[in-house]
Amino acid sequence: MSQPNRLKTGGRVDRSRQLTFTFNGQRYQGHPGDTLASALLANGVDIVNRSFKYSRPRGIVAAGAEEPNGIVQLGSSEAGQVPNVRATQQALYQNLSARSTNGWPNVQRDLMGLVGKLGGQFMPPGFYYKTFMAPASMWLTYEKYIRKAAGLGRSPTENDADIYDHRHQHCDVLVVGAGPAGLSAALAAGRAGARVILVDEQEEMGGSLLSSRESIDDAPATTWAEKVLKELSALEDVTLMPRTTANGYHDHNFVTLHERCTEHLADIAPHVGGRRQVRSRMHRVRAGQVVLASGAHERPLVYAGNDVPGNMLAGAVSTYIRRYGVVPGNRLVLATSNDDGYRAALDWSEAGREVVAIADARQNPDGELVEQARAKGIRVIAGSAVIEARGDKRVAVAKVAKIDIEGFKVSGPVEELACDTIASSGGFSPVVHLASHTGSRPTWNEELLGFVPSPVKGMTPTGGAHGVYALGKVIADGFKAGSAAGEACGFERQDASLPKVDERREGAAVALYQVPHQKATLRGPKQFVDMQNDVTAAAIELATREGFESIEHVKRYTALGFGTDQGKLGNINGMAIAARCLGRTIPEVGTTVFRPNYTPVSFGAIVGRHCGELFDPERYTAMHQWHVENGAEFEDVGQWKRPWYFPQKRRAENGERLETMHEAVARECSAVREKVGILDASTLGKIDIQGPDAREFLGRVYTNKWAKLAPGRVRYGLMCKDDGMVFDDGTTSCLGENHFLMTTSTGGAATVLEWLEIWHQTEWPELDVYFNSVTDHWATMTVTGPEARKLMAELTDIDLDKDSFKFMDWHEGNVAGVPARVFRISFTGELAYEINVQANYAMHVWKKLFAHGDKYGLTPYGTETMHVLRAEKGFIIAGQDTDGSVTPEDLGMHWAIGYDKPNSWIGKRALTRPDTKRTDRKQMVGLKPKDPSVVLEEGAQVVFDPNHAIPMPMKGHVTSSYYSPTLQSGFALAVVKGGHQKMGETVYLPMVDGQVHEAEIVSPIFLDPKGERQNV
Amino acid sequence: MSNAQQFDTRPAGEHASEIAVESPLAYSMHRSGAPKVKADTRVTLRERAFLGHLTLRGGAIVLDEALRDVLGMSLPGEPLGLVQASFDGPAGECSIQWLSPDEWLLIVPGGEEFDVERRLREALGDAHFAISNVSGGQTLLELKGEAAREVLMKSVAYDVHPRHFPVGKAVTTVFAKASVILRRPSEERWELVVRRSFADYTYRWLLDAGEEFGIGVER
Repeated sequence: MSQPNRLKTGGRVDRSRQLTFTFNGQRYQGHPGDTLASALLANGVDIVNRSFKYSRPRGIVAAGAEEPNGIVQLGSSEAGQVPNVRATQQALYQNLSARSTNGWPNVQRDLMGLVGKLGGQFMPPGFYYKTFMAPASMWLTYEKYIRKAAGLGRSPTENDADIYDHRHQHCDVLVVGAGPAGLSAALAAGRAGARVILVDEQEEMGGSLLSSRESIDDAPATTWAEKVLKELSALEDVTLMPRTTANGYHDHNFVTLHERCTEHLADIAPHVGGRRQVRSRMHRVRAGQVVLASGAHERPLVYAGNDVPGNMLAGAVSTYIRRYGVVPGNRLVLATSNDDGYRAALDWSEAGREVVAIADARQNPDGELVEQARAKGIRVIAGSAVIEARGDKRVAVAKVAKIDIEGFKVSGPVEELACDTIASSGGFSPVVHLASHTGSRPTWNEELLGFVPSPVKGMTPTGGAHGVYALGKVIADGFKAGSAAGEACGFERQDASLPKVDERREGAAVALYQVPHQKATLRGPKQFVDMQNDVTAAAIELATREGFESIEHVKRYTALGFGTDQGKLGNINGMAIAARCLGRTIPEVGTTVFRPNYTPVSFGAIVGRHCGELFDPERYTAMHQWHVENGAEFEDVGQWKRPWYFPQKRRAENGERLETMHEAVARECSAVREKVGILDASTLGKIDIQGPDAREFLGRVYTNKWAKLAPGRVRYGLMCKDDGMVFDDGTTSCLGENHFLMTTSTGGAATVLEWLEIWHQTEWPELDVYFNSVTDHWATMTVTGPEARKLMAELTDIDLDKDSFKFMDWHEGNVAGVPARVFRISFTGELAYEINVQANYAMHVWKKLFAHGDKYGLTPYGTETMHVLRAEKGFIIAGQDTDGSVTPEDLGMHWAIGYDKPNSWIGKRALTRPDTKRTDRKQMVGLKPKDPSVVLEEGAQVVFDPNHAIPMPMKGHVTSSYYSPTLQSGFALAVVKGGHQKMGETVYLPMVDGQVHEAEIVSPIFLDPKGERQNV
Repeated sequence: MSNAQQFDTRPAGEHASEIAVESPLAYSMHRSGAPKVKADTRVTLRERAFLGHLTLRGGAIVLDEALRDVLGMSLPGEPLGLVQASFDGPAGECSIQWLSPDEWLLIVPGGEEFDVERRLREALGDAHFAISNVSGGQTLLELKGEAAREVLMKSVAYDVHPRHFPVGKAVTTVFAKASVILRRPSEERWELVVRRSFADYTYRWLLDAGEEFGIGVER
């Protein structure tokens, strides 16, 4: 295969090796060192895409991140699909496979192009807003088709085969960009001894030096770059990161980097030594100082037909010739407003191809480069511009004419020049994107004809990003910035030893953005401003005519600088056009906000390893393995995995089947009520409280009294927030006169500990007390049911006699040979022993209980059974039966409120407010469905009159509802307005499906109201 | 005395050795395995299970005095400090680490924590303090090898560069989506104190993060 546009020599590609790749199904050849874009140009591929809105054929325009057209879909397999890859940034590798993101059935013969041609006039800015907004409900339908026709690539339908991860980085100085300024800055900071990270988005560091015509120290510029990189890589605390884009600049010098680790090698990351490696990586950098050496983007000139393939940036033409050894055409016309553009013509001519003419907008161009061009015999047409490019799938003709910039009109006859390439340069725009991410609006510099970054604390712009363009000055500016950044981090200022760069005499540039045409902008052929979003000069003019005066509104109306483009190529031109139409200056119009990310980042890199099994921590108890091996279904309680129920095998018609949850829970409930069950209660929060004022402190955070709780005794406590609403409950045991063990709900563990610390540290620092979490230290197993004592007796040396070890006592001793604290507390209403052992021994004790428990019918139960059993007893679960609006009195727990305690306590004052004393507050009651087979829905609304017109007054709701195998009936806990005074009354629960359930208000204690079962 | 109830959680007596003891990583190693250390292993992980962990709360001056009396070691002189000393007894070493202005973590050889707590309580007398035994609630993981720092950079937001994290420093910090205590007892060794219930997540995260460096688990 030939590469018609590849030069025989020159550039940084390795011609000794061939790489085969496919684009839109066609096979091509390239070389290592190529980007996909340079390889496509080498092969003479003109059309790389169809445009977003008008479906016009488009070719490569740029050579870097600002490329608007060469956006491809990468990947040969479905799992390896990557959308939105810029061909100019994608290194070529063997068997790379890419497709255009737009164009149906293909980019050469595009049917949507007809829409563009015919519909062009009918698709003004705001077309979609105007056309598809009514009726509003149809938008979703329209959108589906619009997206299909437009769109920029597609996401893969299979799981990503790759892994991605994150790395946290810290440094003194982060240098963004490894061109002449960045290299020099890194050198200054690195030599000073600072920790430096130097990132560059390209395959190779060096930036503009890689395609420069200039010499440094009388050698090619690349030689200097190599020398600097060598010195930097020898410095221990300097990290060089090529293929890494600084994508987001956040507060406090927090910068996110996207490193593409294997994207230059293959679609899917190859394994190394049998191990996976990450495809790309997000670095989260906290930098002391940021040196922004992100360079400048060349601005294209805006003229008619400037989007026909063959229209390119002048600098990009130079880059393709000098760096990649590719001349992207045969006959060049250059349109420029400055000296820099001339490099393209010189490079083109030196590559042995024809430069037809240079249309220079200046009346008297006289810089050194201009003289060089003239010396080569190139025709320079002063005071003129390319006003229109003609051609179908490739430029064929450049229409050149004298122009009057001030008057915005064509001032002379039009000359048609045959050519296949038009390069344009309208000057440079510093890449201010990152600085703008911080919220700092860039400042217009009239001398530079560009926006430069405004001050950001801890950030120094340098080189092109600072509006410094001459190579010698760039290197000096970079060194100064790097040295100052190092100094700001406490390192010594470095004396510059700058290399020798010959200064070039440069003629002044002229401000030219949109080129005038013979026809008015709105009537003439399209002049594109933002090619990625298909925004034309006419669209911006129309937007201003329709009353959009703020540049932010113009942006949203036209889509200028939207999406993945973020205004790299077109924004300044767009603002200049808006300024012209509005009769204002560019600084008066201002810029829009550039947002992260600078270029697209794969979702994988954002997610990192926080996916699949590592998505969120799973907290396990010491008995978790037993639960797994015994077939537990698990319930998530916070981050804990708690056994929900333990389904057993049952005989079925054809072999065996597992119990349903309903069957398992019924069996587990009966086992506890009739024999003995065991629950892993290790997840309950446990707080060790020590100090002479511990008791006093408890009295202030709990609603009830703690003054007389003796060592060896346990008490239930309710905790309110200062608004008087219940927020947690649990038991607290007196371990010693100055020593208590508090338990909290599973979900409340951390919150309660914080709550105690806040009150201690801010309100009552005079109380001598300390709190420590011991949740994970202890494993807790609840042995409960009528046979619990017999089982315990086989394994413990503790005297279990009902008179010496009473309900709400705790004793210490050994259980299965392991030291244990055993608490006689009950959340089931049955005789219960809560065994606490050091977690490392818990599995041993748990297994011993089962070894002895079989004859008593010991049954493991999970959280669902626990819920049923506690609800039968009317025991609340904070957060389920309460919701931050329920007082202890609402719960009917007056017995747990110590209004007459000597000191005040949290919530007391709020509980004396008239509102908390209202008798028609929602109060906790039991509900017994009239039909025992009905299990009410949790959350169902309670009404008093089912025949009331809708909307019915809602009088309460169900908080907990289950089927009770013991009661052989559904039952529920609910909060009902004035419920405590409505015992025996009937309420109604209208359901979504039209059914209305009837239920009787009863006491919330359904079973054993006197507590005889637990008190044995 | 402090009127606190001290409790020896370790089994004693002639049958104590028959009682199975499981570290917080027992299930994790069973389920996720423990890759062997190979020739190209650049980071190794080791659990130092069943050590005695005590949380000390109180004033620095009284605790420092008691610690000198009982263990012959001082509290770290400044925040984020870690002090190590040899333990005068059965096995090796002990360490004390600053956790917060009135909170320190004392790690002693396994089985010594009850006696150390008792002696500290005696030495502290009527001072206001608290000692909580948390030996069952956390475990110590050790990371060694040239890639240890890179594994940490993938896991913690804290800066682990030697200039910022010298030997003798210890912090409590975010680790992936959990939290750990991270310590640097020596040039080549990092330690993570991990809560029992988060140990499995932390272990799986470390194996995953260490995969590219051929992580091996020493047992």
